[in-house]
Amino acid sequence: MSRYVIKRLLYMIPVLLGVAFLVFTILSLTPGDPGTIILGITADPEDIAALNAEFGYDQPFLIRFFNYIKDIVLHFDLGNSYQSRQPVIDDIMARFPNTLTLAVLSMAVSSIIGISLGIFSAVRQYSVADHICVVVALVFASIPGFWLGLMLLLLFSLRLGWLPSFGASSLKHFILPTLTVSMTSAAGLLRLTRSAMLETIRQEYIRTAKAKGASGRRIIWKHALRNALLPVVTTLGTSFGASLGGAIIAETVFAMPGMGTLITTAIRQKDIPMVMGATLFLAVLFSLVILVVDILYAFIDPRIRVKYQNGGKKRG
Amino acid sequence: MAREKEKRNSQAAEIWRRFRKNRTAVIGLVILILIVGMALFADLIVPYSKCIEQVGADRLQGPSLEHFFGTDELGRDLFARVVHGSRYSLFIGVATSLMALVIGAILGASAGYFGGMVDNIICRIVDIFLCVPPILLSLAVVAALGSNMQNLIIAITVSCIPGNVRLIRSVVLTVAEQEYVEAAKSYGTSNARIIFRYVLPNAMGPIIVNTTMAISDMILSAAGLSFIGMGIQPPSPEWGALLSNAQTYLFSAPYMLVFPGIFIVLSSLAFNLVGDGLTDALDPKLKD
Amino acid sequence: MEQVLKIEDLSICYKTDLETVYAVNGISFSIGAGETMGLVGETGAGKTTTALGIMGLLPERTGKITSGKILFEDQDLCGMTEHELLHIRGQKISMIFQDPMTALNPVLTVGDQIGEALYLHNQDGLSQKEIDKKVEETLEMVGIPKERKKEYPYQFSGGMRQRVVIAIALVCNPSLLIADEPTTALDVTIQAQILSMICDLQRKYGTSVIMITHDLGVVAETCDKVGIMYAGEIVEYGTLADIFTGEKHHPYTDGLFGSIPSLTENSRRLHPIEGLMPDPTELPKGCRFAPRCKRCSEICRQKKPPVYEENGHQIRCHLFSGKEDAR
Repeated sequence: MSRYVIKRLLYMIPVLLGVAFLVFTILSLTPGDPGTIILGITADPEDIAALNAEFGYDQPFLIRFFNYIKDIVLHFDLGNSYQSRQPVIDDIMARFPNTLTLAVLSMAVSSIIGISLGIFSAVRQYSVADHICVVVALVFASIPGFWLGLMLLLLFSLRLGWLPSFGASSLKHFILPTLTVSMTSAAGLLRLTRSAMLETIRQEYIRTAKAKGASGRRIIWKHALRNALLPVVTTLGTSFGASLGGAIIAETVFAMPGMGTLITTAIRQKDIPMVMGATLFLAVLFSLVILVVDILYAFIDPRIRVKYQNGGKKRG
Repeated sequence: MAREKEKRNSQAAEIWRRFRKNRTAVIGLVILILIVGMALFADLIVPYSKCIEQVGADRLQGPSLEHFFGTDELGRDLFARVVHGSRYSLFIGVATSLMALVIGAILGASAGYFGGMVDNIICRIVDIFLCVPPILLSLAVVAALGSNMQNLIIAITVSCIPGNVRLIRSVVLTVAEQEYVEAAKSYGTSNARIIFRYVLPNAMGPIIVNTTMAISDMILSAAGLSFIGMGIQPPSPEWGALLSNAQTYLFSAPYMLVFPGIFIVLSSLAFNLVGDGLTDALDPKLKD
Repeated sequence: MEQVLKIEDLSICYKTDLETVYAVNGISFSIGAGETMGLVGETGAGKTTTALGIMGLLPERTGKITSGKILFEDQDLCGMTEHELLHIRGQKISMIFQDPMTALNPVLTVGDQIGEALYLHNQDGLSQKEIDKKVEETLEMVGIPKERKKEYPYQFSGGMRQRVVIAIALVCNPSLLIADEPTTALDVTIQAQILSMICDLQRKYGTSVIMITHDLGVVAETCDKVGIMYAGEIVEYGTLADIFTGEKHHPYTDGLFGSIPSLTENSRRLHPIEGLMPDPTELPKGCRFAPRCKRCSEICRQKKPPVYEENGHQIRCHLFSGKEDAR
């Protein structure tokens, strides 16, 4: 098993470099050099050139990329902000915990709601409850998270006054944002779990289990569930990405100091190093989550687990 | 089992018959037709001039018979703005999904069909793209290119392509393994002909469903990006931009938030319902 | 002889909102203790539906038993509740499925899957240790080293998986085993091994077997009695000798034998049955086989043939009705 983990970890290196290159390339498409962006076009060309040199912008593209990676690897340095001229990593580290808390909370809430209702719905296929689950899930999948957030804000903060409407200073502040982000992914997970479960119930080994005399409940819990959850587990990584994306937008709704508001402010101020640093930071986090999910999957699916247990040799 | 009845009807008629039986899917189709109709005939419903006409005396008026959805802070009629805004959302949703589909289909089909090096390279690149959450990818593109409608379309399309490549690759792989493709190869059919004549038509089902659902996602992403100010900018009456503007008046004029939001939900829902209905109609196995 | 299973006038159909498929139409047969009965017919003749009907495993929403009785040890299975059936399935009646590649749960070890049947029907109050021991014995009995009980299905070849499926079916010592084309999905060499294993175990434990197959060779090797099924009916029913060496046959049975290449006769070509099975949603009015029958006459198209019987050998054909010596 450790062989599998090591193999996956090694594969992460080129992937992460690729991610960095992708983000770096896209953001290098920005018209204008840092000197002009910061000082404006009317500034003294010499000042502009000096500032460009400070940001290493006098170097060719690939050298700049190489230096960028070198600084990250050696000094954990993502460059300096155009605005404050301070390291962007400081700002990122100050904001990141809020975004992570929100994404993880939402992920947990949506998995619990989505998966359990998905199973329930599949087991009761064709019942009224199943129909309601399916329709409600479709409706929630169609509601933009930010709008749901605004509506929750109107109801719980303005009308009822139960919950705070902005900020991130206590756990209470996270309730509405978490609901906002998790409902959309819960809807997706419900639909996925339900269809995976229905697909599994149709398999022949379920008939074998029935022929053994296993009861309906036992069929679901012992035979169907683990098989049905395999495809669900593979999407948990993507689902975390969706939560992260949802968190970025929800932060704007609830005026929460997080990575989302950091990035959007930076984009408005044309603070490219900040955008690049924050984007890369989240992308790396996301890649690591995907990695963890893949490894987790290998532990659940005996086909992968055993393959690597026996020194990679498959017995027939 | 020979099922003569089915053969007599054409395949499309059969799909339509199954689709029609699904009540929620039909509701979705009706909503979809209404919204598309609204976008196409927006000028007949309410003249565009009403969108920009600022009536100083009518600022921040709640819904009334004169202004169905109320007015905004400049006294513009929100009903007119929502009706005309439908054009943006629908156009962006459809355009981005189709573009992402075409690019995804070319890359995915080549990867799946040719395999080997081509597959390897395309897959590795897709792996990298998939490591960046879609919204971040879109934000990076907007940050680099600037925020306007054209760049928003590029940003959303880019974020949607990697998923499409993966889907189409796997669908093509499944089809390419089928024996009729093997047979076609064995009597020397050209690659292009095999792809267009055998592989793609047989892979159509999942692709159509996915694209329909994707339009719904794209509508939501576009609205979301516009909402945080990274997409279409006010004063365009795009729904996300309307909401972004309305957020300022959350306390004083909450109705400004309600109507554009309902229309986003309805159009997104319509595509989801139709996509869901198509899933069942195209693949009746799943219904038993 | 004591009858383990007695089926009387059993009809099963599948109802969807589009159409009704008449899969099994009024069949009757019985099996004594230790006997093997072969059910032979083409794909879609209703063999598997019959088996699922006996097991009570017809698709819940669509499959329905419309008439008849399934008497197992003198109890009618049709009248039983799902709860009562749970005690019969896997313990007294068990089933071997056609495709061993899909019949095993991929995430459970084979040992767990065999042991589960014991655990579910644990009337002797076996401890977990005793169950484990019985599982090991059963594995050895079907020719799998007991060390492999901790392995997963994908680690086994098709033939070995079918042995596991058989172990699951036999571990509780059932009085009736339904084998639904147990060798169709296997290589020819493996087929013989699996068949002889089933027969050995059957003799050892005195199990009654329903052997569902479309292979007359399998029938000749394993069965005591044979029912030939066509379009949901048993068109001919008799002992192995009646079917293989008897004088009188249903034209369909003749057709089946004509479709097998023979080494002894010096015939140059096969005589396949022309045409296809009738659409089970719109069965012909008279004899179901009439459209394909070479000896069909007017009455066959109009009237359902009665059952002709001679010493228990039953033939459902107009050729033998009334005139004793039609051939």
